[in-house]
Amino acid sequence: MQDEHIPQEDMVLYAMQAMDSHELAAVRLHLDRCAECRRALAEVNGDLALVAMSVEPKRLPEGARQRFVERLAADAERADKGVAAPVVSIATKKPLRRAVVWIGWLAAAASLLFAFSLEQKVRVLNDQLAQQQQAAAQQAAANARAQQVLDVLTASTAKRVLLTAAKTKPEPTGRAVYLAENGGLVFQANDLAQLAQDKAYELWVIPANGQAPIAAGVFRPDAAGSASVVLPPLPKGIPAKAFGVTIEKAAGSAAPTAPIILMGAVPSAGE
Amino acid sequence: MTELFDQYSGMVYSVALRVLNDPGQAEDVMQEIFFQVWRNPDAFVAGRGSLGAWLAVMARNRAIDSLRRRRPTDSVDDVVLVSQADIGSEVERNRMMEKVRGVLKGLPPEQQKSVELAFFEGLTHSEIAARTGDPLGTVKTRIRSALMTLRKAIGA
Repeated sequence: MQDEHIPQEDMVLYAMQAMDSHELAAVRLHLDRCAECRRALAEVNGDLALVAMSVEPKRLPEGARQRFVERLAADAERADKGVAAPVVSIATKKPLRRAVVWIGWLAAAASLLFAFSLEQKVRVLNDQLAQQQQAAAQQAAANARAQQVLDVLTASTAKRVLLTAAKTKPEPTGRAVYLAENGGLVFQANDLAQLAQDKAYELWVIPANGQAPIAAGVFRPDAAGSASVVLPPLPKGIPAKAFGVTIEKAAGSAAPTAPIILMGAVPSAGE
Repeated sequence: MTELFDQYSGMVYSVALRVLNDPGQAEDVMQEIFFQVWRNPDAFVAGRGSLGAWLAVMARNRAIDSLRRRRPTDSVDDVVLVSQADIGSEVERNRMMEKVRGVLKGLPPEQQKSVELAFFEGLTHSEIAARTGDPLGTVKTRIRSALMTLRKAIGA
């Protein structure tokens, strides 16, 4: 083997690591001494590279890139602390040159790590900013819609129409929407009779716990008999049993005065 | 380094996965190769041929080492190759790989099988001979013939 060039068949097997171990030593010995065979081996490696690269491309596992970046960062950190990384050493030749290269590479690694860190941070901040902008836009849209609802409900120029069975004489009606948790109440009435100047209608919340009725706002109807009470000041967390409207003096009363003009009970759960 | 990773990690991973058939182990091999390049950036020099080709051979060899559960059989500096293929860009690489796949598929079945067993399953020629029942010389000839056919087709 030392005097003859390596047969091509053996060269291929050597490059593929498909040669039996007892044959390897002679091939390696010859390769160390024969430039022509080293060149032939490089050509075979080039052929094998084509075979390798011909495999069907597959997607990297999720997070593989991130894991690699983290590994680099951890390695750079270890290097800063002077701790050797637990990897298989590949420095088998030219140790002095490797050490010099390593010093330069450490500096590059530190710079790269810093750049990675900055890149990651900027990406996270950009993501947060985008999320906040999206949330703000959604909130603004919700606010605009809520304001529009309020405008419709409370505008003096809004037309309030109650639809009833045909040929039915309009009767006073009221509709209350109440959210006990935050004490929110929106009330709208139609076809109310006009009152004397010193009188007004007053809305009452009748608590479910049997306590005295809570005044929820004094109002007077417009020329068409319509009126609204929107978000009057009410205590939070008072479940209501019913709502009522009475006629009181213009400034309102501490307690409802009979007769009750409008009355509506809160439906029990399941109704 | 991340550019290098982004450009070649998919190919390196695919080669390792083809050999190991295990995504976790294939990722380990891929990470180890790029990590060694990071630790030892002068292991590959431009005069040795295409970086992609070099990484592909490293991926295959490391995957075979992993398959055989042995220490790496060669240093990253030991693999020197000359590639006649122009695979500098992804487009060129894809075109070339299509051609290579076509050539490999066109090989006689026994040659395909021998290359498969030696290159992707990491069997020695003796192990292939034992498995297929063919003489050692025949196994060697088939593998060499397959590679020569590929070389001629790509060089044509």
